[in-house]
Amino acid sequence: MSLTSAELSTRAIVTKGAPKRKRRGVNRPPVITGLLLAILCVVVLSPFIWMTLSVTKPTDVAFSNPPVLWDYQPTLQAFVDLWETTYFSDYLINTLVVAVVSTVIALAIGIPAAYALSRFPSYVSAILLVLALIFRALPRFAVVLPMYDISRALGIYDTTFALAIALVAINQPFTIWLLRNFFAEIPKELDEAAMIDGCTRIGMLRRVMIPLMGPGILTAGIFVFLFAFQEYLTALVLTDTSSKTVPVFIATQLGQTLPMLQQAGAASMLLTIPVFVIAFVAQKYLVAGLADGAVKG
Amino acid sequence: MKAREFWLLFFPSLLVMGALLVLPLVRTVQWSFEQVRYGTPGTFVGLENFTDALTDPRFHKAVLFTVAVTIVTTAILLVFGYIIATGINRITTSRPLVLGIMLVSYVLPNLVGAVAFSWLFDDNFGGVVNRLIGFFGGSQVLWFTDQVPNAILVIANTVWHMLPFAMLIILAGLQGVPNELKEAAKIDGANGFQTHISVIIPTIRGVLGFVTLITIMDVLRMFDNLIPLSPQAQNIGNESIMLYVYSVAFADGAENLGLGSAINVLTIILILIMLIPFIRGIFKEAKAER
Repeated sequence: MSLTSAELSTRAIVTKGAPKRKRRGVNRPPVITGLLLAILCVVVLSPFIWMTLSVTKPTDVAFSNPPVLWDYQPTLQAFVDLWETTYFSDYLINTLVVAVVSTVIALAIGIPAAYALSRFPSYVSAILLVLALIFRALPRFAVVLPMYDISRALGIYDTTFALAIALVAINQPFTIWLLRNFFAEIPKELDEAAMIDGCTRIGMLRRVMIPLMGPGILTAGIFVFLFAFQEYLTALVLTDTSSKTVPVFIATQLGQTLPMLQQAGAASMLLTIPVFVIAFVAQKYLVAGLADGAVKG
Repeated sequence: MKAREFWLLFFPSLLVMGALLVLPLVRTVQWSFEQVRYGTPGTFVGLENFTDALTDPRFHKAVLFTVAVTIVTTAILLVFGYIIATGINRITTSRPLVLGIMLVSYVLPNLVGAVAFSWLFDDNFGGVVNRLIGFFGGSQVLWFTDQVPNAILVIANTVWHMLPFAMLIILAGLQGVPNELKEAAKIDGANGFQTHISVIIPTIRGVLGFVTLITIMDVLRMFDNLIPLSPQAQNIGNESIMLYVYSVAFADGAENLGLGSAINVLTIILILIMLIPFIRGIFKEAKAER
């Protein structure tokens, strides 16, 4: 069982779509397949459809049973309340700052590390990759609880920087695995040619590899950004009030009064929309990353 | 590449991982042998935390629940991931749209997805699912306070969240199956089902193994989605291992770090055992490269 067997032919899925064989007359046209997939898509989206409806209803209608499906005046009051009565904008800014900072740092240290791993075939690389895999698999509390203790001792508890750097470390094993697999596909001869032409190793990495690795770096960047954006457990443990992120805020709103529940729903919608956009726009990069990365985050 | 260059390029990453992953992990192992609270030095108690954990009925319940959810979820993901991947493999033009929609449930914060998911089942929000069950003549289900329905809810949410991942990896595997193999099976008289069972599935067993491993590891660590889906987790016996760790080691007033760390160490040992075949695979590849 080889780890890289999962990488097989990602690019075929991404770029070419299905194998281009003449199917007419050989296979049934995939009408039933298409219909079933359409139903699947609706089922997958149903929680969001329902949440959108619940959040845009007036509070008394949103919580009525049996549900009122039409015959109500849609309202954005929950969003207005969310914005006016809570510190949501602060939490949103915290979440974005953490995601951006951790993505930038993760790539800045991950790119050279991954390149080094892909070009240094030895037991050292293999051991480091195995360690990365093990760290990818660990229960997060095993590193996050000591981080809480250490960050309190250092006085950096509840800062966006501490959370961002913690997420860099937690996601680093994934980042280097993913980037290393992308680098491994670039022929080594290219490095050698550039270095014969007088580039230093670092100059070559900057001028030749990074432009070539554009899609790979974009893929890794999107993943690291999403991981930081999604993170609940680490943010819960490492933040308190001043650097709280949106998922932690949503969790604290649950089990409160009904208007607050609706606000939690509104906050969820606002967090969902950018992710929705990313999922669609970056769909092919996400697909490539999932299969190529082999160790998923 | 020279060794000196390698270490130079790898150093920043190594530094971050060493300081923020290895050191905390060492601390966890150390804590697992201590009676300790945050910010204070602990006292060594030997294996006491481990025996406490292993004899705590609440921990047994958490393990049982987590393992049951893991097994059921993994089985469902393999079967449905395979079927859906086969379906998606047959469509061309609408593929990006379908993949885009399916990816949403995967890339969304797990907690947010679980909140949205729970509202479908919550009678406070009209109880859409119970309405549907009622429509087809079933009786009302207590999704949040009854153990088995709640476990089903948790499994449904986990499947919903992880299915895109399983499906995509299997799809990558399907793309790697040579057409000649399928055609040979057809010539030999195999029908579609037989081709899947005896040709395609054995060919991509490495991929299926990989999906199984990642699913098991991720479901064993479940935590986020239980917050909205199982607010009564402890009372109804649907606590996950990580929720248990959280409540003994971090929640207000508990701070029993030693016990929590001991459970983390036990979980790590379990995960390491499962990783052995993959670790061997990596070393084999490294040997082949040299």
